[in-house]
Amino acid sequence: MSAPATPPPMVEMVDLNKWFGSHHVLRDITLGLAPGEKMVLCGPSGSGKSTLIRCVNGLETFQEGKLRVGKTVMDGSGEALAAVRRATGMVFQHFNLFPHLTVMDNLTLGPIYTRGEPEDSAIARAKPLLERVLLTSETWKYPGQLSGGQRQRVAIARALMLEPEVMLFDEPTSALDPEMIHEVLDVMEDLAADGQSMIVVTHEMGFASRVADLVVFMDAGEIVEAAPPDAFFAAPSTDRAKTFVGHIAREGDQ
Amino acid sequence: MDRVPASFAVPKASDSRPPPHGRRGILARLHARYFASLWDTVVTLVIGLPLLLMAWFFLKWALVDAVWVAPEGKACQLASGACWAVVAEKYRVILFGTYPFEEQWRGFVTIALWIGWGIASGWRRVPLAARLWGWLVVAVVTVVLMRGGVFGLSLVSTDEWGGLPLTFLVFAGTVAGGVPLAVLLALGRRSDLPIISGLCVAVIEGVRGIPLLVVLFFAALILPLFLPPQLNIDKLLRAEIGMIIFFAAYAAEVIRGGLQAIPAGQEEAAKALGMPYWTRMRKIVLPQALSVALPALFNDIIRAFKNTTFFSILGLFDVLGATKAALQDPVWVRYGLEGYLFVFMVYLVFCLGLTFHGREMEKNAWRRLGRGEA
Ligand SMILES: Nc1ncnc2c1ncn2[C@@H]1O[C@H](COP(=O)(O)OP(=O)(O)OP(=O)(O)O)[C@@H](O)[C@H]1O
Ligand SMILES: [Mg+2]
Repeated sequence: MSAPATPPPMVEMVDLNKWFGSHHVLRDITLGLAPGEKMVLCGPSGSGKSTLIRCVNGLETFQEGKLRVGKTVMDGSGEALAAVRRATGMVFQHFNLFPHLTVMDNLTLGPIYTRGEPEDSAIARAKPLLERVLLTSETWKYPGQLSGGQRQRVAIARALMLEPEVMLFDEPTSALDPEMIHEVLDVMEDLAADGQSMIVVTHEMGFASRVADLVVFMDAGEIVEAAPPDAFFAAPSTDRAKTFVGHIAREGDQ
Repeated sequence: MDRVPASFAVPKASDSRPPPHGRRGILARLHARYFASLWDTVVTLVIGLPLLLMAWFFLKWALVDAVWVAPEGKACQLASGACWAVVAEKYRVILFGTYPFEEQWRGFVTIALWIGWGIASGWRRVPLAARLWGWLVVAVVTVVLMRGGVFGLSLVSTDEWGGLPLTFLVFAGTVAGGVPLAVLLALGRRSDLPIISGLCVAVIEGVRGIPLLVVLFFAALILPLFLPPQLNIDKLLRAEIGMIIFFAAYAAEVIRGGLQAIPAGQEEAAKALGMPYWTRMRKIVLPQALSVALPALFNDIIRAFKNTTFFSILGLFDVLGATKAALQDPVWVRYGLEGYLFVFMVYLVFCLGLTFHGREMEKNAWRRLGRGEA
């Protein structure tokens, strides 16, 4: 019997360790994201999910271990950092749109100033993306004129402008009112269906079970459990995960 | 057995109607604003009456009893009011200082240019880039015109420059050189490299701890002793460099305040998009930080305009210095008050103009930024 040839992971971490001062926030993290797959990270507050996902695109540094994104091994050099950021797109909990720029400029500034793309070509690429996130009518508005859900969809389109190999989402819906969560999740599911590789920090269990290939549960800087969503939500194998799933299930009922 | 609540609310259908009218008319409004209660009336009278009295005495002196023309100052000696004739007599010295008399038309052109573009560029729709380019053109034309030596204009050395054109140039140079330097100092202060941040802190704190007078003395009079004699930098230029550094040390702290007001997420988002440091600063961080810092920055800019008066201690005649020199004339020396009042008005008008510019720029900045956080 021959094992099917699995392609190398898109993102790979081997025994990655990080400290904030003497606080050990990531402990021997080892994981791999296969091309086209979706990984959902969950866990209690302070467990290190944000820190982990921010290590992937170099917004945080780490002290020990190995990180590879695409072909780039993260060695702390400027070139590696630039390559890793070219390969990833990030969406933040608080959107972080540029308030002094129109929606269109928010999208095109990155490509124009990091790749030297001509402005008209960037605008031409931005239009279909805005259509995809259903924001064509808001193209020339400023972020402050948009609702939270609209802002987060602009942020997604902005990240997609760089055609990233991996999309990173850090709690993209937790700053949103309930009725806006769906419009953002819909866009993300649409993206997932297109085969985009993604790592998503979220507590949206519905989204996780529909989209995730793998759910990773973290606590206190460790990966405690990793399983496909059905298995994870139906029968968490550790007590810590059981308690956590119980908590978020109760929240969802309200 | 439902308990009937003691609280109640009465459903009623009503059409919308305008608010009830208060008393209208000027008298009614004056009454409401100044004499509504006994206390209001007392405050109005105690503060208002002396103000009215002072205004009356001043206007009587400045307008009613004033003398406007007085050849050789004769008519002024008999008058009980202001002697504005001194301004008519001395305005050329006040406005142009020691600049050669027959070339002073160049000064007139300069002043017209500055006031003209000052008013034109105050129009809100003029984009910032156009404003700045316009000022650059105005400044270059001024320097060429004042200095001469080309286009058949006779050469006038900077030692002879004076009055309002000198004030304008020194001020414009301070702002044009000082704001970029302040930005660099503010960014440098936040640098991760201790050598850079340390240097910037040393410059900022060092210069802020020294009086402007000392900075100017050092730049104009002491610095040349340490420089090789071949390196003959103009005194005006040296003093200007002192002004720029002094301005930048204060403005750097104002800009640092603006930088601190920008959430860290802004820079992180720009990093995640792959933007290198200077692009992040130029396109994302500084536009927002400067908008936030604008009101305080204009405070420093207005102060820079008034600090041009310090140039007189270096023997360079700015407007105030020129006025002082003009009033040495024994015929007119008694009318210093009128002469100084005139320059004060000149300063006031230009500072109010600057305030107006600042307000307009703030409005533009907030029209964009003020649309709420993102
Ligand atoms: N810049 C920092 N300096 C020091 N400690 C930090 C810093 N950022 C995070 N931490 C600490 O690291 C730990 C992990 O933080 P992290 O933000 O990754 O958690 P999280 O799982 O994303 O939590 P949350 O669900 O609240 O977002 C926490 O204990 C936090 O207090
Ligand atoms: Mg987090």
